[in-house]
Amino acid sequence: MRLALWMYQGTAHHGVGRIANSMRGVHAVFHAPQGDDYVNPIFTMLERTPDFPRMTTSIVSGRDLAQGTVRLPETLRKVEARLHPDVIIVCASCSTILLQEDLERIARSATTRAEVLVYDANPYRMQEIRAADGLFDLLARRYARAQSLTPAPSVNILGPASLGFHNRSDLICLRRMLATLGVQVNAVAPLGASVGDLERLPAAWATIAPYRELGQGAARWLEEQFGVPALTDAPIGVQPTLGWLGRLVETLNDVGARNERRQAPLQMPPLTAFSLDGISAPSAVPWFARTADMESYSTKRAFVFGDATHTVGMVKFLHDELGMQLAGAGTYLEHEAAWVAQQLAQYLPQDGAGPQLLVTDVFQHVAQRIAELSPELVCGTQMERHACRKLDLPCMVIAPPTHIENHLLSYRPVLGFDGADALADEIYTTATLGMEKHLIDMFGDAGLEYGAAQGKGGTTEEECAGTNDGAQGAEGEAEHGQVNSSSSHSTAPSPVHPVWSGDALVMLKKVPFFVRGRVQKNVERYATQHGYATITAEILIAAREALGG
Amino acid sequence: MAATILKEDGAYHSFCGLTCIGWLYQKIKDSFFLVLGTHTCAHLLQNVLGVMVFARPRFGVALIEEADLSKPQPDLAALIDEIVADHHPSVIFLLSSCTPEVMKVEFEGLARSLSRPDLPVLFVPASGLEYTFSQAEDSVLQALLPFCPMAAPDDRRVVFLGSVNDAIADDFRVEATRLGIPVAGFLPDNHFSALPPIGPATIVAPLQPYLAKVAGRLARERGATVLSSLFPFGPDGTRAFWEDLAAALGIAVDLRERERQAWERLEPHLAILRGKRVLFTADNLMELPLARFLKNAGCTVLECSSPYINRKFHARELAALDGVRIVEQPDFDRQVHDIDLLQPDLVISNLATTNPLVGRGVVAKWSTEFSFMPIHGWSGAATLAGMFTRPLQRHRRLDPLAHDPVWLAGMMS
Repeated sequence: MRLALWMYQGTAHHGVGRIANSMRGVHAVFHAPQGDDYVNPIFTMLERTPDFPRMTTSIVSGRDLAQGTVRLPETLRKVEARLHPDVIIVCASCSTILLQEDLERIARSATTRAEVLVYDANPYRMQEIRAADGLFDLLARRYARAQSLTPAPSVNILGPASLGFHNRSDLICLRRMLATLGVQVNAVAPLGASVGDLERLPAAWATIAPYRELGQGAARWLEEQFGVPALTDAPIGVQPTLGWLGRLVETLNDVGARNERRQAPLQMPPLTAFSLDGISAPSAVPWFARTADMESYSTKRAFVFGDATHTVGMVKFLHDELGMQLAGAGTYLEHEAAWVAQQLAQYLPQDGAGPQLLVTDVFQHVAQRIAELSPELVCGTQMERHACRKLDLPCMVIAPPTHIENHLLSYRPVLGFDGADALADEIYTTATLGMEKHLIDMFGDAGLEYGAAQGKGGTTEEECAGTNDGAQGAEGEAEHGQVNSSSSHSTAPSPVHPVWSGDALVMLKKVPFFVRGRVQKNVERYATQHGYATITAEILIAAREALGG
Repeated sequence: MAATILKEDGAYHSFCGLTCIGWLYQKIKDSFFLVLGTHTCAHLLQNVLGVMVFARPRFGVALIEEADLSKPQPDLAALIDEIVADHHPSVIFLLSSCTPEVMKVEFEGLARSLSRPDLPVLFVPASGLEYTFSQAEDSVLQALLPFCPMAAPDDRRVVFLGSVNDAIADDFRVEATRLGIPVAGFLPDNHFSALPPIGPATIVAPLQPYLAKVAGRLARERGATVLSSLFPFGPDGTRAFWEDLAAALGIAVDLRERERQAWERLEPHLAILRGKRVLFTADNLMELPLARFLKNAGCTVLECSSPYINRKFHARELAALDGVRIVEQPDFDRQVHDIDLLQPDLVISNLATTNPLVGRGVVAKWSTEFSFMPIHGWSGAATLAGMFTRPLQRHRRLDPLAHDPVWLAGMMS
């Protein structure tokens, strides 16, 4: 048994929910206690879904267990009546799986028109990624039907999914590049796919499955079963994208020749065709990397940690295309460790035993490695961002788990030429800001007051530090308070500037720091208006009441 | 007056009891919250309350993995050592979760065996099989109860019940002093060592509406008197709370004028709220007092649903809501149907359902926010009113583009 703080992956049922919420006409039902419904807000808050996520918790309560009540059939019937899905996926939770119920039989007893699949996602043996990939694989195998190829060259894009890392932007980027090549998209799955889309997967000339974490099993199965070739590398960076485009064109032309399609083979268009302005290079990275501006980056060492796809892609991009150095890398996906190690064998610093690849899903161990290496740039997950905040190291998020700040509205792909530009920009701004901050640390505050009211991250840490060392924290705050009041005095001179009594000041300190300045000013104004020379606790309360907190 | 409570025993969206860690670990500063649970519990804690902004929180999950399922009783001693070394807590709360409940882990004995002379380990029932969201604060306070010193039989002072932040606590202390009400303390206070004395002459004044069980135990086990009043939300609730509390101590106070002034200050909010039709789905157990405030502010409450209603503990709120449709454990599908039909002006709903409700064209507001805002007492009234008027004003200001479904296209896959 170990003490867990943060998890890199969600649970198995979260993986199931991600597949269901990606697709149309598919709904997940969790046979679980009410608390397991927490996965719902992850979708409605991070992806801000304007409809209810395609998952329902069929509640199991303590009383149900005592009374032998099983609500699952009723829930299935309700879901069908309300949403008319084609398929309902049922899975147990970490607690209900221990009950060893026959969910197949219970689900059948609901006699729904929709197909009900009981998915054996044992939460003690698989987590989010394997549960999601396994379910998608199962659905593709179940519904794909042998059929003839589409008339024109076409591809499947497998892997984009609900809550996938920048998946929507990646999809846009892939579609843009395919449109430039004149290749049609046969189906995208699971994102936006229906059962009908899964049925016609074998009609594609090839399958693109760029993510190790989702869709490659299905892509390989389509290759074995129907002879649809699979392109399973991730075009992260300019060189990998060029190679990927070349292989794609070659693969599609092979398929065309094999099937004796008479149309002219696909040609690689001039590269400027990929920049949709039609005049520039498709990516600015090759030139940018050679500018004097980037000189300083050649001595910067990076540490990369994440899932398999993004870790490998980022290490190669940093090293091959930006000329940076690698301090180390790692992944939290134990089942991908061998592949990652093989991919990065030439990139990582060696110790006696071989390249140093950190394989762990223990957040503290990653934080410790980062602290030891003290790199100039960290590319990690939301968790590494926390670790880096504490260590005051620049960090960018390149893989899940994410935070709401990683779910932005604008186009920020990882894949393709556009992805290379987006990554380079983020690396540049992340690391540069780090340097500026060090300048400030070195030469003073550059006129900025780095007090309690500054920044999002720093303040959180200060709060934490404050609880460990109350006395010091209080002193600092008192100084800060004086600075504030004297500056407000100088900007708005008033005939009677009120003085704070000891008890009122103590009370003021308890107002959360991020609004304290405002409250202080409002109360002083209130006291001035009412002619109080001293702000007592009574007056502070009266003022807050009058002014509304 | 007994209001009618419909009980639907339905599926509503809320969190399990573990969620109370989100505020309690910050409130009780020398504590550590240890959940005996699975990956699911850890994933929940990480995701739902935005607590991930803290790099080294004073809570964690003793992770049950496959190999642990066959063990009769988990061995947590090494984890306790680790926690002690890292955090030096004065108390560890050991929270149950669904899986060990199903495994029938004997928690009382486990907690006892882990306790050390200088470090009590206290069992807190919190599993999602039994407890929802704020309810587990009740369990935490019950666990603390034996550590509250026994007050002298003639110690006739008030203990405020329920976790509030320091600013609110100060407000209540000052207000009590002003009214001549002697205060013994708060349960919980900021430190395990600062628990208030409670005895037969103590008046327990509940600040939060989700603490029925600990209130009952304080009455039964310590002979304390539990104040039965409105909860101190809004000018109406705050006046009733203080007048009743004073009366319980034999002090007569008349706060009519105070309440009138407080409403008067809320006038800009009231102008917006009057006549608005509001529906509460069910989430954090604060629904009854919030609905009562809105009713008195001139709203029509179409439905006030809550996960749990206690006829005795909530008696005054229920009476004040006479005529309002009150539902315990509502069926969320039925509520969505009603919302489509009734088109309320404002729906108060939980984190999982609010955006989708907005997507259906109603103005909806996160209920969870009410758990973390200083909305108590006289000084909280404006904040409280603003919580309801802000979404109404914001949606009125926005252009009507989102009514065209094209602007939602692709937001779901």
